[in-house]
Amino acid sequence: MNRQAKIFQKKVSNVFAETSKFLFISVDLELQTKKTKDLLKLKDEASYIKSEAIEKQDEDSANALLSMESIIEALIDELRMWVALKKDDPNKAWDFLVNAQYATRHALQAHNLLKRSHAISYCKRLYLLEKLLFPPQLFFSPCFITERAECSICGSEYGKCNHVVGKAYMGKLCCRIIKEIKEIKEVSIVKAPANKHNRIMCFSNGKHMKDTMTLRNCERGK
Amino acid sequence: MLFKISEYVDVKKKAEQLGFDIPTGIALLPQNFDIATSKGQLVHESTTQTVRVLWRQNGIIETALEHEEDKIPTVAEKSLDWVGPTIFISALYLSQNSKLVSLAIDIIANYLADFFRGIPKRDRKIKISFITETKDGCYKRIEYEGPPEKLRASIKEIQKISNE
Repeated sequence: MNRQAKIFQKKVSNVFAETSKFLFISVDLELQTKKTKDLLKLKDEASYIKSEAIEKQDEDSANALLSMESIIEALIDELRMWVALKKDDPNKAWDFLVNAQYATRHALQAHNLLKRSHAISYCKRLYLLEKLLFPPQLFFSPCFITERAECSICGSEYGKCNHVVGKAYMGKLCCRIIKEIKEIKEVSIVKAPANKHNRIMCFSNGKHMKDTMTLRNCERGK
Repeated sequence: MLFKISEYVDVKKKAEQLGFDIPTGIALLPQNFDIATSKGQLVHESTTQTVRVLWRQNGIIETALEHEEDKIPTVAEKSLDWVGPTIFISALYLSQNSKLVSLAIDIIANYLADFFRGIPKRDRKIKISFITETKDGCYKRIEYEGPPEKLRASIKEIQKISNE
């Protein structure tokens, strides 16, 4: 990791500790909103330093900065979750929490620098929050047959290049981009999906459609 | 139970029937290789290509069933579980290259350790199948379902079954 990345790592570590004080429902809404804005600036800074590392073809630093960028993103999303909950919007809050969980996962996958850090316990905290703040959810899980998938790093057919899903390359995480679907086999209802955004949002009690989070009647078309 | 053992079709005969090369070493079989009646029905797990890349990078040479021009589609199951490919290991390859078989599984286990970072341990689950030949020429499927950390235990199970 280059010197600039190491200095930034210390800054992120301090901000992480400082931000943890804001991650409670009791904290003032305006202070949480202000903290979110501060973190957005920090994330921009991370992106800028990362782009410099990419320019210098310094892959280790670029991946480390991706990791830092992702952990800042997780903090932003958690703050937004608390704000959404206070604004009586649990559906939005759920999406922010899930984004925070995914961002933490990406931070841990991108580089080893967070392997033995607070990020591990932070990750556990986000899963605990899911259980404590929201009712158990059910998810849709599609199963389909794909004809063609591309590598998100180099654009070639996935499997023909040397990039693999879940690994970081020059500041980007590799994923498989499905380009052609041959057939949708089924859509299952599962408790542990790959994507927690694919949620069942309403249910019927025989008379009305109810929101799974608020238990309020759902408006038609929403 | 982590391992489930069952009978499997004669891989050589089935490969011939489907018009493929006979896998002689280690190979990744389509998910429904045993029940497919034509090439067009075959599908690979979505993780097959990832395992291929990892093996290629680490010098594991696969005697693939299909040719470059045979495009076998992949099935994408969007659950949290990592569903691995069906790995065929011939008796000859296992007896002459047992270290390579261990390495092939280690490579997957190491990849999974990184892949599952940030997911609580209780939610980490993988499924993967191995096909091996027994001494009396039968084919057995060894299905592993469990945490990624215990995948390496498959090596002993494969060797035990192949010695039957």
